[in-house]
Amino acid sequence: MDNTYYDLLTYVVYGSAILVMLIGLYAVLVKKSLLKIVIGLSIVDSGLNLLIVSLGYLKNGTAPIFSKGFFELAADKPMVDPLLQALVLTAIVIGFGVTAVALSLVIRLWRHHHTLYIDEIKNLKW
Amino acid sequence: MVGTPVLFIAIPLLAAFLIPLLGMIWKESVRIVPGLVLMYLMVLAVSLMGHVAHNGPIIEIIAGWAPPIGINLVFNAFTGFLVTLIIFMGLLVWLYSYRFKSNVEYEPARKYFILLMMLVTGSTGVVLTGDIFNLFVFIEITSISAYALTAFYTGRDSAEASFKYVMMGSLASTMLLIAIMLIYSQLGTLNMADVASKIHLMDPTLKAISFILFVVALGVEAEIFPLNGWAPDAYAEAPGPVGAAFAGIVVKAMLYALIRFTYTIFDLSGAFNLLIIIGLLTLVIAEVAAIRQDKLKRMLAYSSIGQMGLVMVAFGIGTREGVFAALFIMLNHAIIKPLLFFSGSYLVYHSKKKYISDIDGMGKLAPFTSLLFALGAFAIVGLPPFAGFWSKLSFLVAAADNDMVLIIALILAVSIVEIVYYMRVVNRIFFFKRTTGLLARRPTFNAYIVMSVLGIIVLMIGFFPDTVTGYIQAAADSLFDKTQYIHSVLTASIQ
Repeated sequence: MDNTYYDLLTYVVYGSAILVMLIGLYAVLVKKSLLKIVIGLSIVDSGLNLLIVSLGYLKNGTAPIFSKGFFELAADKPMVDPLLQALVLTAIVIGFGVTAVALSLVIRLWRHHHTLYIDEIKNLKW
Repeated sequence: MVGTPVLFIAIPLLAAFLIPLLGMIWKESVRIVPGLVLMYLMVLAVSLMGHVAHNGPIIEIIAGWAPPIGINLVFNAFTGFLVTLIIFMGLLVWLYSYRFKSNVEYEPARKYFILLMMLVTGSTGVVLTGDIFNLFVFIEITSISAYALTAFYTGRDSAEASFKYVMMGSLASTMLLIAIMLIYSQLGTLNMADVASKIHLMDPTLKAISFILFVVALGVEAEIFPLNGWAPDAYAEAPGPVGAAFAGIVVKAMLYALIRFTYTIFDLSGAFNLLIIIGLLTLVIAEVAAIRQDKLKRMLAYSSIGQMGLVMVAFGIGTREGVFAALFIMLNHAIIKPLLFFSGSYLVYHSKKKYISDIDGMGKLAPFTSLLFALGAFAIVGLPPFAGFWSKLSFLVAAADNDMVLIIALILAVSIVEIVYYMRVVNRIFFFKRTTGLLARRPTFNAYIVMSVLGIIVLMIGFFPDTVTGYIQAAADSLFDKTQYIHSVLTASIQ
């Protein structure tokens, strides 16, 4: 695999991660069901996480794990960025927390209004 | 020293997780422990402020990794000032809500105090941290507990308000993370001081994009127009003390993050004009919206948004005097708005819809609460002997020094609008006949104490502004001195 393919692949990966985010954004802004909005928020998070992980990818890179034979391996191979992977783990947990809170709110709204259709829940001005 | 800055984050977090366990042993401890924690942190904050005044900023290194690799906490005159303010407001909110739900159930009280502790943890974390990703994590801790606190009452439309908040907050946090990743992919560092020293190496377009993403994301959290759609509903539907906590704690921490990015991290010359423009827009639209409100808490919420706009404009002036005025307005708002929320929520306690017309003639039924509400109203519009006057005066002086005549004219015009809607409410309280048969709710003993303390502080700042201006001046100087911040963080070593 030469460098042109590699560059192309990078753009495809970035582009598809951004596409996933845009799909999620579409769901949040356009869909009328509360559950679909929550799903949309979750999809936006996933797309962003994909983007962050792919930023840390290096061609022919090795895993950033300190183990036996690490120095021999690291001598001719670059190490992928471990920080981004750690950040994504944190971001996933945070996204999970937000989704859980949002879903519990959806349950509360269902009990209160007996509908998930956003146009029927408008005691406060949306 | 009684401790180190990391305790501001560690102790309330630990308390939040211990509260349910302690509650199994002794139910009353659920209410007492948060107070003890906040009192200790208050002592810690005051003593560290004294230490900082003599020995310079405290840079705490976490887990033995010196900056720029590891996470560090910065406690200097500026962050210390805000931390002290946040802890103090947390203490008052705790005292006010000590008997919260006591006669109903044990379960809601437990959840409430856990969330309050998380809110304090997140907000102090936002202010103290020296790492942008860490900042993101603390912003999320703060906002998730704020979502839950907004939805606290099951009876009202609070879930709706909270869902709106979650939607906007979640998209905002995505934008914040994109902006952080843009910086990281360009500079390879997350430490604020390190980023600030390398920011000139960043591609100008990407720098502008990431700055705008930061402004939008933090604008949602700090109630800046046009991203503040959640704020009026959240304030109106959340319990009274939570509204006070939003105005006194959450918004202050988020605004801090925005200011840190504008002043320390980015070096964009257009950033200050951007702050002035969005600040003015926020101010004008919020005050015009406030005059049209028929519900008391919504009116207070819009007034709160307007004050945030004023702070933004003051920061946008970009001089030392402007920063001084901005911090002074922040301090006054953090004290006066909770006073208005505390007293206001007692005035409309028995009213179902919380309309302003329900407080007609309240002055005879509840003279003490009404008087404090009036005091808060006079103070926030900036009538001369009260606290708000000095901050507005310092703001106008700072603007006049820079020949910003148009801004001064606009601010004065908006102040008249502000006076109109606050005086309308005060007029209703004291001079209208009671039309509804609703009785006044007697404040609890703790609520009396909290409201009196806030009232005394408002009067004290009003008559002796010198008691606080020294601290504000030190805070403004420390924010302004960017090179000193970078130097002190990057040369910090493990003691």
